[in-house]
Amino acid sequence: MLRVDPLRNPEPLIRRVYGYVAYRIGDGPDAEDITSETFERALRYQKSFDPQKGEPLAWLIGIARRLIEGRPPTLELAIEVPDHSDAGDLEDVTLRRLALSGAVSRLEPRDRDLIALRYGADLTARQIAEELDLRTNAVEVALHRALGRLRAAIEEPGDPPVRKQGTAR
Amino acid sequence: MRHKRTNLETELRANRPRPSDEFVNRLEGRVREGRRSRAGSFRVAFAGSLAAGVLAALASVGGLGYASNATGEAVQKAKRVVKSSHGTAVVRKSPSRDQYGKPKVKKKKKAKKKAKGRAFARPPFTG
Repeated sequence: MLRVDPLRNPEPLIRRVYGYVAYRIGDGPDAEDITSETFERALRYQKSFDPQKGEPLAWLIGIARRLIEGRPPTLELAIEVPDHSDAGDLEDVTLRRLALSGAVSRLEPRDRDLIALRYGADLTARQIAEELDLRTNAVEVALHRALGRLRAAIEEPGDPPVRKQGTAR
Repeated sequence: MRHKRTNLETELRANRPRPSDEFVNRLEGRVREGRRSRAGSFRVAFAGSLAAGVLAALASVGGLGYASNATGEAVQKAKRVVKSSHGTAVVRKSPSRDQYGKPKVKKKKKAKKKAKGRAFARPPFTG
């Protein structure tokens, strides 16, 4: 059987893995470190990639997820959103981006993971379902609820949105 | 509601954190380098397996025995050459020897056998 090289075209993969990692732990050097480590491991364990099980991006995101989960919790940094009064001459777009990042950082880890997988790594609901070992429908519902909580977090900055008991995992 | 949700999704995609170009280039270079070195090791492994295959094919037709004999002979010859360069070389067969006929072969004298038993002793003087 001909072996498929999952890292043949690394540039778009780097961007998407970084997008996922940055939504999970925040934009910056830590995200760069995790992204680099993800690719180092991918190179080391390249033989473990099985194209039958999924695309290279899903495989890389799996490595990145395990790296993030294996990190010491003290390294977790919350994104600080500057007050509007201090923002003065900052453009609305930048402010909005920071508000969005801040809101994502205040979400519960599960919601944050879903948001990062869907909008950071740009995986489809089906790919996320495979990664999380869930049904596609369950992922769509969970994503819908995570977006709802994110919206609430944007509208009411400060208090972290609380997940109701009995909602999807 | 639907409109709001779509806006939020669009925003999340549009405002996705982006790595710096410098970081991307650096990591991309490292990945490409890593892939190249892996390809190199694959080539070495391929050459090794090819050599092993050739050896196996030779062994199946007795080529290895032939090769080892040839090597042994070569070693012996080399030893002879090296040995003769030290000390005095004695030429046993040469035209000059033929000219003077065959050299006389000295007969070895047989060593006298010693009398067995007691050693002979002069009788005592009685006169």
